[in-house]
Amino acid sequence: MIKLWFFRIPEIVYGEDSLSYLESTRHRRFLIVTDRNIARTDFPDLVMNNLPDASSSMLFSDIGEEPAFDEMTKSIERIREFAPDCIIALGGGSVMDSAKVIAFTYANPARQIYDLTPLEHLGIREKVSIIAIPTTSGTGSECSWAAVVSESDGLTKRKMELASTEILPETAILDPVFVRSLPLKQTVSTAVDAIVHAIEAYTSQWRNPYSDAMAIKALQLITGSIRSVIKDPLNIEFRNNVHIGASMAGSAFSNSQIGLAHAMGHALGSCFRIAHGYAVGLYIPEIIKYNSAAVPDLYREIRNVFPADARKKDLYGTIRYFFEEIGQPLTIGECGIDASAYESKMETLVKLSMESTGSLTNARESDSDSIRSIMLKVRGI
Amino acid sequence: MPIFPSDEWVKEYVAKINTNEKYADAASDWEGDFLFIIEDDSSKKPVASIYLDLYHGKCRGGKFLDKSEGMQAAFSYIGPYRNWIRLIKREIDPIQGVLTGKFKLKGPMMKIMRYTRAAKELVNTANQVETEFK
Repeated sequence: MIKLWFFRIPEIVYGEDSLSYLESTRHRRFLIVTDRNIARTDFPDLVMNNLPDASSSMLFSDIGEEPAFDEMTKSIERIREFAPDCIIALGGGSVMDSAKVIAFTYANPARQIYDLTPLEHLGIREKVSIIAIPTTSGTGSECSWAAVVSESDGLTKRKMELASTEILPETAILDPVFVRSLPLKQTVSTAVDAIVHAIEAYTSQWRNPYSDAMAIKALQLITGSIRSVIKDPLNIEFRNNVHIGASMAGSAFSNSQIGLAHAMGHALGSCFRIAHGYAVGLYIPEIIKYNSAAVPDLYREIRNVFPADARKKDLYGTIRYFFEEIGQPLTIGECGIDASAYESKMETLVKLSMESTGSLTNARESDSDSIRSIMLKVRGI
Repeated sequence: MPIFPSDEWVKEYVAKINTNEKYADAASDWEGDFLFIIEDDSSKKPVASIYLDLYHGKCRGGKFLDKSEGMQAAFSYIGPYRNWIRLIKREIDPIQGVLTGKFKLKGPMMKIMRYTRAAKELVNTANQVETEFK
């Protein structure tokens, strides 16, 4: 029997010219959150030019890679003075997660970051709305009620996985204009992130019929188009497929949770400089091998979603073949990480993976020994 | 078969925690006590609680408390009796139970966030006690 559960997603506006939706919003005071790289492009102007008449805007563009809480909220006093009624997140996962944290802090001046939990009412939606405009196709943050925040206690760097349904964006705008010129490396790493979201959502212990549907369609769209995007990056139809697929994968995992690949990928990203998509893609083949006894039918179904010419005898072979073809690293050496440095961090990596909720909802139960064993398999030696 | 909640049940539960390798693995550096609070199904007022002194993957002691005995702990997991029955029978996932409002979790979130696996194993261990319900 299906037990009480939820399926929560934002209003989704998609396709070419979907940015023009902004003109029709009820909001009038917009905080636009973006990162330093995007601030140098014409993207912020594109957004501002689509805001409603007689509205005002403030740009906060000082977000770097994998930001910590202090970096995300360093302009909070200026933001309070401006008093936005809508925060537009224009960027990738770090920007969208920053916008969520800014919304939380803006609505909750006296609270600590650890209070960003689903356990109590935070009054965020009464204070401000969030509109997410992703400029990569993969993180799914535009459709999730989670936010990843980097943290360091002086000894260990962590990626905290915070969540509240109140930080789920009200609207996600999926306009392909923002991903048309995404560089190849980011195109691949973010698409891999989305593929892993879909696989982990479909096999999570919290899977449900709605997330299943989103995950399978996401895999169809992404695996059916990503190779064409790599060959023909300016093809808007293929870009659109991957962009929509990535948001569907985000909707899937946000409602059924992630698995070990994200637990271990976040741990790796805390210890080494590596693109998030590469980190989760690095582990997923060995995790599929580990999980396969627990969910053989589900993995068979996923394998059959991949394009026919990429299918091997099982999902493990299929995913390795597909990842090699699109340029996803399969060993830590290929990720540019030194094997001995990796081994020296092994116990920290295992501990951080164990702390992640992804290790709880993974298709098969795990412990520190099984996580360590998977970690060691990607050394490539 | 011990009745939940009772002194006898808590003794068996503590013994199960101390032989649960998954809990020991997940809570190897946990330091802090936990209070399970059982509420009346109708009035939602506390009727009993179970205190657990937890340290580095082991339970150093447990105590059944009736409603007249107040006790504080760093963390509390709170719910009505009918939901405790479903939890012990593993019909409710301990984390989903919190997210769907069937249970409340109180305590410093900074710490609990890093130990959700330990908390889940702690609650799951209750299922290993052969239990009779009132």
